[in-house]
Amino acid sequence: MTEITYREAIRDAQREELERDPSVFLIGEDLRDPWGGAYKTTQNISNVVGNDRVLNTPIAEESIIGAALGAALTGMRPVAELQYLDFVMRAMDSVVNQVAKVRYMSGGQAKVPLVIRAQGGGGKSSAAQHGNSLEAWLCHVPGLFVAMPATPYDAKGLLKTAIRMDDPVFFIEHKMLYMTKGEVPDGDYTLPFGVADIKRKGEDVTIVATSRMVLFALEAAAELEKEGISAEVIDPRTLVPLDEAAILESVHKTNRLVVVNEAVERCGWAAEVTAMVQKCAFSDLDAPIERVCSLNVPLPFQPDMERFVLPSVNDIVRAARLTLGKV
Amino acid sequence: MGTQVNWLDLFRLMVRIRYFEQTAFELYTGGKLPGFLHLSIGQEATSVGACSALRADDYMASTHRGHGDTIAKGLAVEPAMIELFGGAAGSCRAKGGSMHIADFSQGILGANGIIGAGIPITVGAALSAKQRKSDQVALCFFGDGATGIGPLHEGMNMAMLWKLPVIFVRQNNHYAESTPRHEYQGIPDVVRWAEGYGMPATKVDGNDVLAVYTAVAQAAARGRRGEGPSFIDSETYRWYGHNIGDPGTARPKEEVEMWKARDPIARFRRVIIEHNIASGTDLDAIDAEEKARLQAAAEMAEKEPKPPVEAALEDLYSDPVLGSRAIQGVRV
Repeated sequence: MTEITYREAIRDAQREELERDPSVFLIGEDLRDPWGGAYKTTQNISNVVGNDRVLNTPIAEESIIGAALGAALTGMRPVAELQYLDFVMRAMDSVVNQVAKVRYMSGGQAKVPLVIRAQGGGGKSSAAQHGNSLEAWLCHVPGLFVAMPATPYDAKGLLKTAIRMDDPVFFIEHKMLYMTKGEVPDGDYTLPFGVADIKRKGEDVTIVATSRMVLFALEAAAELEKEGISAEVIDPRTLVPLDEAAILESVHKTNRLVVVNEAVERCGWAAEVTAMVQKCAFSDLDAPIERVCSLNVPLPFQPDMERFVLPSVNDIVRAARLTLGKV
Repeated sequence: MGTQVNWLDLFRLMVRIRYFEQTAFELYTGGKLPGFLHLSIGQEATSVGACSALRADDYMASTHRGHGDTIAKGLAVEPAMIELFGGAAGSCRAKGGSMHIADFSQGILGANGIIGAGIPITVGAALSAKQRKSDQVALCFFGDGATGIGPLHEGMNMAMLWKLPVIFVRQNNHYAESTPRHEYQGIPDVVRWAEGYGMPATKVDGNDVLAVYTAVAQAAARGRRGEGPSFIDSETYRWYGHNIGDPGTARPKEEVEMWKARDPIARFRRVIIEHNIASGTDLDAIDAEEKARLQAAAEMAEKEPKPPVEAALEDLYSDPVLGSRAIQGVRV
């Protein structure tokens, strides 16, 4: 095992897959060395595999994804980067009407081995147009798989799997996770989609969290432990498909659930998990399910206001207490 | 001009498309076809001239008005007709219908319900060909409406930037839905745009199948030599309105009649006879064969079984296990 950052995990996964399979290539804005991407997630890749396989593009998101789709339909395995998840809005027709639907509309003729990577989330004072969490929009689109890893280990293993899949994968990273560290195995490994990871075992309350919120949930669990509350933290790792069974099994044990997702609460991913659990495990629940999400406003610029809008460790602690009847 | 191509093959394809569209029109107005229908009658020379200048392994993306283009590129009319009826054995297993008709085995990257969406897909196919060191080319058709859309401009820029073998073919039929060109285009001549992006751009008489063929053949040869994209503005006309629901009354009657008098099929028929390639009797025989084929296709397609409704849950993902989980979730 070696300790690396989340950023290095993303870089290594892409470089290793480029070296393994000549049909893989990267396409996006500012990817090539020496710049290596706005968040340096493609640094030291074009230096190794050459500029032919790391394409810098015009700033034209709809056509970047459209072109990546055209390449995927004709024998290549592109990994397209959107510099910010926010910019998917510029590419929404390509993602939703083309990438996600072409196989279906053609009656299964087309195969779409395409990964779209993007980083989202707040925490950097990037204000309202560079910090959106749009995972629910993407989960809402039939035809996509959606991965949202929280650790270097999960990021590398899931990205390698995504690149080897024959279906389109939207792979959502988080800008505040790039500097976080974790151990990864030496050499090649992959992780399956649709399998959650229990990041912390617990007995009293289940906390399901995504992406950076997994780290917040683990901090919250440490706080709760001081109060004698044992929280189980579950990271689904992929949102589509979702490992419902892992969540239900945990709720069966703890009888309480907090769902943490950084996106705004209204019509968000946490609502989907809440609906699933109340339907499938109603009799297991001893308390209403709590959601911890961003407030229903755009992200403000000022750091204190931003922290106020985003979910916090304290919000999670409070929500967990609430499920246990402790205010 | 057009010496490498069999003129009778071109004629046959044009006639086939005409009968396909006429049959579809009759079936639709007879209440037998669901959905939308955008007819390409009048534009056959552009579809056939362009696609006949491509190899079977070249790529082509079409538009919502895609029957003619896709048949010209190799889509068989029988599964296509079944698709229009929503039959299980349709080209797209009844998932696509008229607007999404495709046969990927023929290099068809799909018709497309979204204006201009096929353009970046074509650019990507050409990029793929270049990366695979293949000499395939990729052609995108688009209509007048697409001239206002971003991906056309983004696609021209990308194709030029990477010297990709893309052939941009504008089916210049003078209207974006019902809106005439002077109401949506700042300059009358978009060839100047293409030249501005740095690629050779030509205007052709889009009702002259041999002229279109020659222009596209030259563009394809240029693409195969690694010299980059080309733009062809093929001036033609659709006899019908934007779709079946549009009676076409937004256009002056005299204009429609003038273009009907320039029927690309009747015109090519005269050229074939003038050049002693075939007699009128020979061409009548081809016409009769295609008419009979389409009539048989329609009769057969109408009787084809519809898919079970549960087939709606198939064909979304290629991974059957993860795909099924993504679609079904948990069922309790």
